Amino acid sequence: MEKKNFNELKIKSDNLIAFKKKARQIRRKVLDMAIGAGAGHIGPSFSCVEILVALYYGGFLRTKFKDYKWENRDRFILSKGHAALSLYAILADRGILTLSDLDCFASKGGRISCLPENSTCGIEAFTGSLGHGLSIGAGIAFGAKLNKKNILTAVLLGDGECHEGSVWEAAIFASQHRLGNLVAIIDHNGLSATGILKDYLDIEPLKDKWEAFGWDSIVVDGHSFGEILPALKAALQRRVNKPLVIIALTTKGKGVSFMENNPIWHYRVPKEKEIIIAKKELNK
Amino acid sequence: MKRWIKGMRDAFFNNLFKAAKKDKDILLLTADTGAICHDQFKKELPQQYVNVGIAEQNMIGLAAGLVLAGKIVYVYGIIPFVTMRCYEQIRIDLCCMNLAVNIIGIGAGLDYSTLGATHHATEDIALMRALPQMTIYSPADSLTAGTLAKRNYEQTGPVYIRLDRTGLPLVYKSEKDIDFGKGFSVFGQDKDLYIIATGRMVYIALQVVKKMCFKSISAGVIDLFRIKPLNAGMLWDAIKKAKYIVALEEHFVNGGIGDMLAALLAIKKNHPRFKAMGIPDKFCSKYGTREYLLSLFELNVDSIAFNIENWVFNKN
Repeated sequence: MEKKNFNELKIKSDNLIAFKKKARQIRRKVLDMAIGAGAGHIGPSFSCVEILVALYYGGFLRTKFKDYKWENRDRFILSKGHAALSLYAILADRGILTLSDLDCFASKGGRISCLPENSTCGIEAFTGSLGHGLSIGAGIAFGAKLNKKNILTAVLLGDGECHEGSVWEAAIFASQHRLGNLVAIIDHNGLSATGILKDYLDIEPLKDKWEAFGWDSIVVDGHSFGEILPALKAALQRRVNKPLVIIALTTKGKGVSFMENNPIWHYRVPKEKEIIIAKKELNK
Repeated sequence: MKRWIKGMRDAFFNNLFKAAKKDKDILLLTADTGAICHDQFKKELPQQYVNVGIAEQNMIGLAAGLVLAGKIVYVYGIIPFVTMRCYEQIRIDLCCMNLAVNIIGIGAGLDYSTLGATHHATEDIALMRALPQMTIYSPADSLTAGTLAKRNYEQTGPVYIRLDRTGLPLVYKSEKDIDFGKGFSVFGQDKDLYIIATGRMVYIALQVVKKMCFKSISAGVIDLFRIKPLNAGMLWDAIKKAKYIVALEEHFVNGGIGDMLAALLAIKKNHPRFKAMGIPDKFCSKYGTREYLLSLFELNVDSIAFNIENWVFNKN
């Protein structure tokens, strides 16, 4: 297959300033959508913005701009579906969703909501429930391998999501079947809906666990494009028959000071004074 | 009869194997549940047979992904494991996303009679009925099961097929007698009483009707081999002139075809009297042959005939 990058919105990999600018833009859009609808998981959406921006603007998901259903496209599954706000903002930027779609986020009978459940919108899998995405991604990767197609499948999981046994069922399978075309990215912010993972069900040592399941691993600062971009480049270029996990160390609610590392921002919409502070900080 | 046709499973997978030989996109996934009839898959089509291990949730997710990658996928397992262990995956990955995965369950009703309740299929119809987009087939014999394998991958959404390890004697003489357009077959026209049965209960129902043919009531059988979607209009046309309808299933009385048919009849202005027969609402704690367990639940030929006649003539 032709290994050409069809992504017309690609930012050059050395232009870190442009990547950071795009990340701020996406966060502003996420905030606007959540405030407009009075709904949304802002904290979880903010913690993976850099990862998503890197994937979609760094040229790592080879696709056709006008044909997002192109059969040979690389696949991305947002297994931590509650970060959908960030994904929608990016899909709108790519022209797959419209501004009207974003306006009708979770309201007015719109076609997108808090969790990605509509396959007409550039969403590869319905992932409102955690623990599903890696299996589906492994199935796509396995199918691509059987079909001898050079397709990369990337799956973004939450770290709390790694409590689900189904994640590890998929991990064993991917290793057994040498799915070198499968990349799992863990948004490792240390928090979940009800609190701090370490306090009630610690998943450390996470890297060791994935390696024990037969995966290669890279640990990156999840908010540093200088680290994420090379990791994704390595994922795309590697010719190894082992799946890869990129463990991205992140901050839940990243970008807005009062949201950062605060579990209450898992699903919460800011009020008036908070909105002012948040917008000010995201416009810096 | 061809030597290879032993039960429904053999008939189904023999035909699926023939289809898979011609179409490399057909894949069979199993969660560490084997069968002799899979041996030819493993031996001659190893690229198309995948044992995913004792991991049913992953199996369904993989199946969904494989369909998204352009494959035609069959997943196989003992019914409670392949329907219940991974129910949420079926609900979301297959039904919400409307992906054409074929779930082939083995061990309908009390088929695995010596293994206990963990292996009994007594709630599967209820669970699968509750899911939008799901199609449910419950073949009465090996001929129907084998025919399903030939037709099945024309489906556009998820399908559940409830297989039995038995399947003989045959209920049908020819594939042409099985009307897949209607989803049910009528044995005996213009009868006073119909037993609407599914799976191996159809064969038992036919024996019951033979026992009853000496009484003053005429009786027939309807094989409801496609439980969902139910062809409600045509089924009503077939039974509306009858005086009595009995639903018969090897499944809990909760949520199976009995409840489904009761709902169908209840909205009609005038409808035949109705009785549902199935396994009572409790797990089976006895072990033995299937025939022994069925007799405990009064689902053997003699008990069914006695209970129906009692109901009809005593007007309980």
